[in-house]
Amino acid sequence: MSGNAAKLRVRDLQLGHRSGRSGSFALAVDGLDFDVEEGEFIAVVGPSGCGKTTFLSAVAGLVPVQAGELSLDGHQINGPGRDRSLVFQQASLFPWRTVVGNIEFGLQAHGRLDDAGRARARELLDLVGLTGKGDKYARELSGGMSQRVNLARALATDPQLLLLDEPFAALDAQTREVMQAELTRVWQADGAATGKTAVFITHDVPEAVFLADRVLVLSSGPAHLVDSIAVDLPRPRDPALKRSPGFLALSDSITDLVMQQSQPGWRTQSDDRHARLAS
Amino acid sequence: MTATHVSPADRQETAVLPAGVASRAVSRGRRRLGTGLLGIIGLVLVLGAWQLSAWLDWVDADFSSSPLGALRALWGMATDGSLWPPLLSTLQTVAIGMAVSIVVGIPIGLVIGRSHLLHGLTEPLISIMYSVPFAVFLPIIIFWFGIGGQARLVIVIWSAIFPLLINVVTGARNLDSNYLQVAKVFCAAPTLTMRTVTFPATLPYILAGVRQAVGRALVGAIVAELFMGNEGLGYVVQLQTSNFRMDDAMAAIAVIAVLAIVLTRGVAWVESRFTFWSSSV
Repeated sequence: MSGNAAKLRVRDLQLGHRSGRSGSFALAVDGLDFDVEEGEFIAVVGPSGCGKTTFLSAVAGLVPVQAGELSLDGHQINGPGRDRSLVFQQASLFPWRTVVGNIEFGLQAHGRLDDAGRARARELLDLVGLTGKGDKYARELSGGMSQRVNLARALATDPQLLLLDEPFAALDAQTREVMQAELTRVWQADGAATGKTAVFITHDVPEAVFLADRVLVLSSGPAHLVDSIAVDLPRPRDPALKRSPGFLALSDSITDLVMQQSQPGWRTQSDDRHARLAS
Repeated sequence: MTATHVSPADRQETAVLPAGVASRAVSRGRRRLGTGLLGIIGLVLVLGAWQLSAWLDWVDADFSSSPLGALRALWGMATDGSLWPPLLSTLQTVAIGMAVSIVVGIPIGLVIGRSHLLHGLTEPLISIMYSVPFAVFLPIIIFWFGIGGQARLVIVIWSAIFPLLINVVTGARNLDSNYLQVAKVFCAAPTLTMRTVTFPATLPYILAGVRQAVGRALVGAIVAELFMGNEGLGYVVQLQTSNFRMDDAMAAIAVIAVLAIVLTRGVAWVESRFTFWSSSV
């Protein structure tokens, strides 16, 4: 594929749910437009209930596209595909399988669980920091460890596009910090992940800024794109970055932007600098 | 005994708790030992009182039998070999009946549980069949199938398959949709999803159903033998009681009791062996 074609192309996208028996149609996403380039790590933020998760589910192929274009490598998405993996919000590990068994599930589903596949699962086990824990069962794992397995399972199939649906939302603050650092480390270290393109949904703006190359801000539902903010912070990033002035200014300005979506007219107290950055 | 009759109203919940909850709660070290020991003491006390009553002629041992008399009769039946054919006959009826119930019940239960339409259509029927004591069907089954081995098998299946079905259907309906979503996202084929997701996820319910069904299958087999048998342990109890040989009848009852415990405990062991992961259910 050529370098200038977008990896993921979103044009005038419309998504929604038909609600129950009344048959009325509730729009979750309306007129969404943006591109994701090959190799980009995109974070999507927006007010809660704005349709972020619906959007991600549509990219995963779990929610049908109502109108508009949603295409990966030039092909319209119309169902789940082997070129995408999803890191679920709830780890959704199979409790009857061991850690390794869970990591291998995607490969097994693709019919690729051969020697190379098993080796790949072992490699990911080490990469996500679960060396020696491969034979444990899901109920023996903490929340953070479960999400490591969840991540490894998604990476095992070497997806072109990795989708992450608020994977750290249910973790305590400390574990979340650790997992954010781990995700950047894994992302940068996993050589086998060919495309290395990712879309990360979160409501936590500092998390988005810390992880992403670019942060997309969505409006309150039905969602459309409010702004796309490049994060020009050096990589590799470590947690100390979160204390730097540049980081704080950026996440404050994006937080303002998000808050304005849910509460029009919202402003922080000391805001000149922020307002300037946000515009 | 797990084979309890319950009102249809709370039947959904009676789908016996999947392995974890009940058995693990009890199996905490000392408490288990304590209740086990107390149970044995209770048993010994009752049997002792019975034996004492027989010795002191408070009761007529010819009518009431006695623990030692029954034990002697059991020893006699075991040594002269007259114990084994009826035991094997009963075991065979239960085994074939369970095999048919499992082979038929599990796939049908999974299909019904995963289909809204089928569940709606069959739910009241299964509920009624489960709740009505199967013994009321005995005369009709005899009318249809006679009193041979075939009729006994029908009764065993009749009594065993509904508790199994109810549990499997409940399990399939409670299947965590997140699991299916994982299968979907990774593009797992339907057969692979059935084999690696639906079946293992439902296994705790399936085995709880099997445990309940085994108990009811044994009840069905014994009842059938009591009323229409010419072989089996139930028939021995019936025959020896008519012959006024109470010790032999009691010995056969003791064998049935041991059989019941071995069968249900055996399934419980299989449950804990294969569904140890399901404490979160």
